[in-house]
Amino acid sequence: MDSMIEKFKAKAVELWKSADVAARGKASDLLDHEVGELENIFALLVLGVFVGLPSPPVQITLELIPEMERELCLMISKVATAHDPLGELFAALGID
Amino acid sequence: MIREGLKPDIHFFIGKGGVGKSTTSALAALYFARSGRKTLLVSMDPAHNQRDLFEADFSEKPKKMGQNLAVKEVDSDYWINRYLSETREQIRKTYIYESAFNLQKHFKVLQFAPGLEEYALLMAFENVLSHGSDRDVIIFDMAPTALSLRFFSLPGVSLVWLKELLTLRDLICEKKEIISKIRIGSCELERDRVKQKIGTLTARHTRLQQCFADDATHVHLVMNADRLSLSEAVRIHRQLSDIHIPIDRVVVNKLKTDDGIAAIAERFEPDRMSLLPMAANDLVGLAALQAYVEVQRAVFQGFMPARRMVN
Repeated sequence: MDSMIEKFKAKAVELWKSADVAARGKASDLLDHEVGELENIFALLVLGVFVGLPSPPVQITLELIPEMERELCLMISKVATAHDPLGELFAALGID
Repeated sequence: MIREGLKPDIHFFIGKGGVGKSTTSALAALYFARSGRKTLLVSMDPAHNQRDLFEADFSEKPKKMGQNLAVKEVDSDYWINRYLSETREQIRKTYIYESAFNLQKHFKVLQFAPGLEEYALLMAFENVLSHGSDRDVIIFDMAPTALSLRFFSLPGVSLVWLKELLTLRDLICEKKEIISKIRIGSCELERDRVKQKIGTLTARHTRLQQCFADDATHVHLVMNADRLSLSEAVRIHRQLSDIHIPIDRVVVNKLKTDDGIAAIAERFEPDRMSLLPMAANDLVGLAALQAYVEVQRAVFQGFMPARRMVN
């Protein structure tokens, strides 16, 4: 009997934790998307020289680029979704 | 710090191409050396006229030219290549998917990127200063106007960009902190390396900007007594004023007659003008340069100004 209660308690805790993670994930997804957009803007500002945008003095780009692998990945992946920015926005907002 | 401990006096000689910046800076260097001050003359002009004036080969390593004087040439290609290879190495160390971006291809082109030449001069300038604490005077024979002005304005322009980037980065970090708090209930984020780098760069460019405006830094404007030279000198003065770099002395070089002096005196304070007459013979070789300095000793005494021109 005791073991059943223990098992039930463990399951309940596990369920609670999963629900908590899901809720926290949902709560922060939109913010995460916003951070992604901001990082993309940051990447375009610093690394714009590679795609023909006005950019800061080239030495600032060169000084920062070793620390910007994530932004570089993001900038390149944004190229893939560039043709459908509304689709990306609706996906982030959870609109089907 | 760029200028820790004892500060050497720094003199820049700038002006239009062909007015005699190299000759004037070489003469001033010889004057300082002859008056017992340990002097380093640095050629920042890609034309590197100092080797013709002294009839000697110079390199990045300072070469002794008599008592108290050493001369070196800044090789901007060396500084650009060194900088690019250091950055490339840094990328190799920090990137996981470095090869996926094909950045090496971009680096081959980047050595010709606009703006890198003045940055190379800035790196060379920092290097000279960091090794120049044993000197009393460091004289820089600058490149013609356009490159010199870009050199002087680079720290200020960089600071404007860095300020904007820092604002955006702060916003990113703030939002990442909120996400971290929601997801894992704490905000023990690794310090943002990009933000750290922006901070380092800001400190570095602020130091350079302060160094240009320092009391121990003197910018001398070299010109000839003709209208074109005067027009460009006025523009240089105005542009340097815009970035808060004062002019110490206006050197009117290669004077044959008094013609044109009055027009210059209308634009610049007469007591800040140093008039250097045209030499009777070519100023080539150490002996000829020293002989000219000896004759014009009184003019070169004026290169130790007590106050600056009001902008």
